[in-house]
Amino acid sequence: MTAGAKVLIIGFSFAMIVVSFLIGIWAKKKADTAQAFFGGTALFGPFVVGLSTMSAVASAFAIVGIPGIIYATGNPMSFWMLSSAAFGMAYIILGKKVRAMAELGPISSLGDISDLRFQNNRYIKAVMSLVLFLGCIAYLAAQIKGVSVMFAHLLGWNFYVTGFLIFGFLIAYMIIGGEAGGIMTQAFQGLIMAVAGIIIIIGFFVVTGGFGNVLDAVAKAGTITGGGVTKKMSADFLNAWGILPGQLSMVYMLIPILGTVGQPQVLTRMYALKNPRDMPKLGLWAALSHAIVGFLAIVMGFGALYLVATGKIAPLAKADTAAAVFADSLGIWGQLLFYATVLAAAMSSASMFLSLSAGIISRDLPAALGFKAVDGKTQIKRFRITMGVLGVIAVALALTNDSMVAILGTFGWGTLMSATFPVFVVGLLWKRASKEGVATGLSIALVLNVICFVLVQNKFKFPGGIPWYFNVIVVSIAATIIVSLFTSGASGKNLDRAVEKVIDL
Amino acid sequence: MERKQTALMVAIGLMWLAILYMGWKGVWLPAMVLSVFLMLAHMVMGAMHNGKLNKKFFVYPLLAWAVLWIASFLLSAYYADAFRGQVPTFTILGFHPSFAWTILTYWIGGILTLSVGLYACKDNWLSESDWETFKKEIAEIKAQGGKA
Repeated sequence: MTAGAKVLIIGFSFAMIVVSFLIGIWAKKKADTAQAFFGGTALFGPFVVGLSTMSAVASAFAIVGIPGIIYATGNPMSFWMLSSAAFGMAYIILGKKVRAMAELGPISSLGDISDLRFQNNRYIKAVMSLVLFLGCIAYLAAQIKGVSVMFAHLLGWNFYVTGFLIFGFLIAYMIIGGEAGGIMTQAFQGLIMAVAGIIIIIGFFVVTGGFGNVLDAVAKAGTITGGGVTKKMSADFLNAWGILPGQLSMVYMLIPILGTVGQPQVLTRMYALKNPRDMPKLGLWAALSHAIVGFLAIVMGFGALYLVATGKIAPLAKADTAAAVFADSLGIWGQLLFYATVLAAAMSSASMFLSLSAGIISRDLPAALGFKAVDGKTQIKRFRITMGVLGVIAVALALTNDSMVAILGTFGWGTLMSATFPVFVVGLLWKRASKEGVATGLSIALVLNVICFVLVQNKFKFPGGIPWYFNVIVVSIAATIIVSLFTSGASGKNLDRAVEKVIDL
Repeated sequence: MERKQTALMVAIGLMWLAILYMGWKGVWLPAMVLSVFLMLAHMVMGAMHNGKLNKKFFVYPLLAWAVLWIASFLLSAYYADAFRGQVPTFTILGFHPSFAWTILTYWIGGILTLSVGLYACKDNWLSESDWETFKKEIAEIKAQGGKA
């Protein structure tokens, strides 16, 4: 990379961080109550919430990791990235119910909705918070580590300085603006991702000549060796299922599509919307922006395949470098936009998960453990202190402890889904979902997440090669339903009248 | 009304278990088709108002989406098998004929049905009057000293 390109990337990245910081300060005006500060509850329109939702869902892994997986295994992972319809599905399933819960009482977090639905059941709130915390902290550590490594390597800067500089700004603006500021900065970062994505997609067509040329090159390439690396290619690589067993296509289709409704970054944004009748518009903005970012990940994977298949570059020693290698082929503007997109994706996801983790530690868990409730101002003060301390610890650990980041990497999308499906999907769709049933489902989710973590560390293979989290999700949902059929706490005739109206809406 | 809800939720649980079992056994294409019904059941439950689903909303976007996605998976499987181990004799918009259906029906079709459909049929999903009635009912419950 040329010195000019590096200067441009530094300048653009710095400008993006500064603008995010200024937005966070500006948002402080909006965050004048605990609900606004913690949840941005009923504050924003569909455009802001749509972009914020998409950018929080699409992490840096989507921009860097997915093209690498497509380069290595073909199209199965494309199902995941082309899951743009998931937002519409999520809002059809839970949109009006979650937003309606905000009319019942002050909602600042997912724990508050759990309280309203399950009559302040502390066990449910505690276990859900624990499982959510596991998933959130895993995502947070992965964003910090990935971006710090990439930018330190790119710019030749000290790794620790790079990480603390980028995420120090992030922690600062989240402390000042709270979740209201988080939503607005994420919308800005989502806009950057979408605009940069369009330009890189155009670049893909310019460099490759289109998908027909990619298919032609990959189908005819055969086995390629270069730089000590051999890569085998065939037309099957680019059929719908790629070179992995078909059941992985099934998982990579179902889990992101249905799992989107169980992601906290989607659920919390449902009650951030001012007018619930705007939710369809929100679904449209989220889907369109996600379509661009999802397609961007696909074209970068395909682009890297094309470059190798046509002999323009040697086969990649590490598949993870596919996106960066393809961005290099687009020239200085491609590189600039690629790194801007990665930074925006990492910052938006990190800010969301930092805020959620801080909310769990400072507010939901203490309440679930029976600590006395405090007033709004004290809550905000505690939240800010927790956010600062947690943020610094997360950055320090992510930068200094490789094995911890790798271990936490086990948890993620599936872990979050296993925490939210019993409480929100089963709980808000079904009047008979009982507190005993949901407590059982959540307990199983917590225990199995931990057991599976140990099994995965020991290279255990689940039947059919099905990823561990799919098994956990199914067992926890089934247990929630079965136990609910035979118990009646906070369900049926014992259901709160207002909650009944929400489920009927 | 509650019986209908319970039947649907039990069906959802059974479908999850069946899909997992089919995945274990490698029967993944029927499992993908079954997963469309699983998602449809979730959306039907979410879109119901007072236990009833608006028929127009069921036809579009929900049923239209389900048909498109089932067709997508079956066409992808057909063309993957037809051209297994060989270069396809034709492409669709430059894509492998198997992957083209992921683009056209799964991705674009999914957006045109669920996202655009929800927007186009938003009154059948949540009308202004239903929302206002809901808010009035909640206010009444609060006024009566209800838990809300």
